[in-house]
Amino acid sequence: MRARTWSRTTTAVATTALVALGVTACGGSGDDGGGDADSLDVWIMQGTNPSADAFFDEVGAAFKEQTGADLNVEFIEWADAHDRFVTAIAGGTTPDVAETGTTWTAEFADAGALAPLDEYVAAAGLDDDLVEGLVEAGTFEDELYGMPWYAGVRSLVYNTEIFEKAGVEPPTTWAEIEQAAKKIKATSPDVIPVAVPGDAEFTVYPWVWGAGGEVATQDGGTWTSGLHSPEAQEGISFWTGLAEQGYSSAGATTWRETDVLDAFAKGDVGMAVMGSWTPGAIVEANADMEGKFAAVPIPGKEGGMSPSVLGGSHLSMFSTADDQDLAFEFVELMTTGEFATTWGEQAGYFPGQTSLLDETLASTDPLVAPFAKQFVEAGASPPVSPNYGDVQAKLTTSTMMQSILSGSEDVATASSKAAQEMTSLLNSDN
Amino acid sequence: MARVRPWMLLTPALAVLAVLLLWPLVQVALFSVQDYGLREIVSGEPNWIGLGNFVEIFTSEQLWAVVLPNTVVFAVLSVGCTVVFGTAVAVLLASLGRLWRTVVSSAIMAAWAMPAVTGTYVWVWIFDADRGVFNHVMQALGLQDAPVNWFTDRWSFYAIVLLNVVHHGFPFVAVTVLAGLLGVPKELLEAAEIDGAGPWRRFFSVIVPQLRQIFAVVIILSTIWDFKVFAQIYLMPGGAGSNREVLNLGVWSYTESFGQNRYGFGSAIAVLLTVLLLVITVMYVRTILKEEEL
Repeated sequence: MRARTWSRTTTAVATTALVALGVTACGGSGDDGGGDADSLDVWIMQGTNPSADAFFDEVGAAFKEQTGADLNVEFIEWADAHDRFVTAIAGGTTPDVAETGTTWTAEFADAGALAPLDEYVAAAGLDDDLVEGLVEAGTFEDELYGMPWYAGVRSLVYNTEIFEKAGVEPPTTWAEIEQAAKKIKATSPDVIPVAVPGDAEFTVYPWVWGAGGEVATQDGGTWTSGLHSPEAQEGISFWTGLAEQGYSSAGATTWRETDVLDAFAKGDVGMAVMGSWTPGAIVEANADMEGKFAAVPIPGKEGGMSPSVLGGSHLSMFSTADDQDLAFEFVELMTTGEFATTWGEQAGYFPGQTSLLDETLASTDPLVAPFAKQFVEAGASPPVSPNYGDVQAKLTTSTMMQSILSGSEDVATASSKAAQEMTSLLNSDN
Repeated sequence: MARVRPWMLLTPALAVLAVLLLWPLVQVALFSVQDYGLREIVSGEPNWIGLGNFVEIFTSEQLWAVVLPNTVVFAVLSVGCTVVFGTAVAVLLASLGRLWRTVVSSAIMAAWAMPAVTGTYVWVWIFDADRGVFNHVMQALGLQDAPVNWFTDRWSFYAIVLLNVVHHGFPFVAVTVLAGLLGVPKELLEAAEIDGAGPWRRFFSVIVPQLRQIFAVVIILSTIWDFKVFAQIYLMPGGAGSNREVLNLGVWSYTESFGQNRYGFGSAIAVLLTVLLLVITVMYVRTILKEEEL
């Protein structure tokens, strides 16, 4: 799901992935055809959890104790992950279990690379204890292929120092966002009042939904994008209008979410749409920012909340797994109970098991509670289609945003083109 | 036996080439006449559609309005700039003493040795809208009021790519041409000077004809490299596909293949690029050979 979000985070060129643990000399691979069922190969996305190494050391130990099998975890960069999955699928060298972004699961299931999990989930008695949005995203043709693991949501993160200097309260309506930006511009002229990035599709949809528009809807098997509807255009106009009035920056026209994070961590940004997983990364990038920022749910047009994209990851079992029972034992170990809670806390995500989620929601942490409120009360999903990955890869929404922000097209033209392209990609028979 | 022996000696190299070069080439050609996606990869079944991919490419408005002009015009400009600038540097090097020649050639080697990815990030940083040196200087000089995002406009985008590619490509030209320059017989130049030829005349009427073959090699290789430039565009802000104005054949092929899982269509673009380069190379080599015959 967040292939774009995290693409090129730290090491843009790194094509190699780190093997975190269980790197023994034999390094038994689950794919080498039979016999060697005493180890499990797992691919996990890099960068989600800063303490992933230590975490998987513990998981490996617990897994060894429980099953007697070794756990081989390989970390994969989000930017390379899709290509690596495809190459592995082609060469029959897929791992036994892998973390798959929620928008990829249906695509890989459609290609026949994943094994259905329904029976295992039922046997483990987890049917009714999984977060619904993630189950929906992990289901393809009525079968569950992606086990809900964790999810996050984007809200409005703001710099408290800059807000205090401008004498503004966190906004609760769209008009207040504009007012706040105006005052910040007046009191801190060197700061970007609100970052409007051009290459970050998930920061655009809240405004589309908040104005009552739709990204795309399905009717009788046919998808129709609503990005050019009057409501959607109103939302997009509001968001890009902030940039047009000079409250964003010229550079932001080509920013990705990682660039927003960098600028925010430097203290250069008043407010921005950022994920529930970013507070940790902000402090990690700049320790001075500790305690100097807070979050609110993305305001609705006239109050309330604008829906925001629920994004996350599944754990999927590949059909090449030698020992599927063993594979599911690992999946269950990771996605339920203690390890799921710890992962969520360390990474700033919400667990995919409903009973665990309730605990997190009770949190009063100012950098958890607003996201939790958004997650439960105003979370939304991008179109659940095996083709949605194509729309993301085509950068349809980013193309629209960049042509509006650079002034080469107006909202009506750019959004019509984007809607047309999205509709055709979602309906194509690839 | 005598006829077979050269082939026996060539066999290892040919076998390696066949495996590493010929087989992938054949595969790409085979993919290009199929509708080949993720499903075909998993099942391994072919899915022939004849020339459908090529029809789609040639009827695509994007090809004629954006992709082909970007690729061809950029290649022509960058080959021209690289060869002219590289030759100028070679002439400079040839006139320097031993010490300064070592200093200057080490400096240009550094530009050559820098990986394309690293070089691209450096140029991106220089032209960055908010923190880049270029915008800073322009504003300090009063030439622009507010920062400008140079990556959003097709022309300024490719101007930056041109700087990047020429910077990375000229050292090869300089070193190769220098080797040729040092081989030009001194007597010829002296004779020309006695006949009253000035420096420009000596360069264009004596040296350049002597170096014709070297220029042929340099131009053909630069053409091939500059036609298939990829990383220098893909890694620029907006270059990965969100700015459709700046797509070239390489990036178009990549985003269609790996982004859209349309490996057949992407392969067809790659085949087109290969054929285009073959045609250009063959035409160029033939012209050179004809001139030799005269």
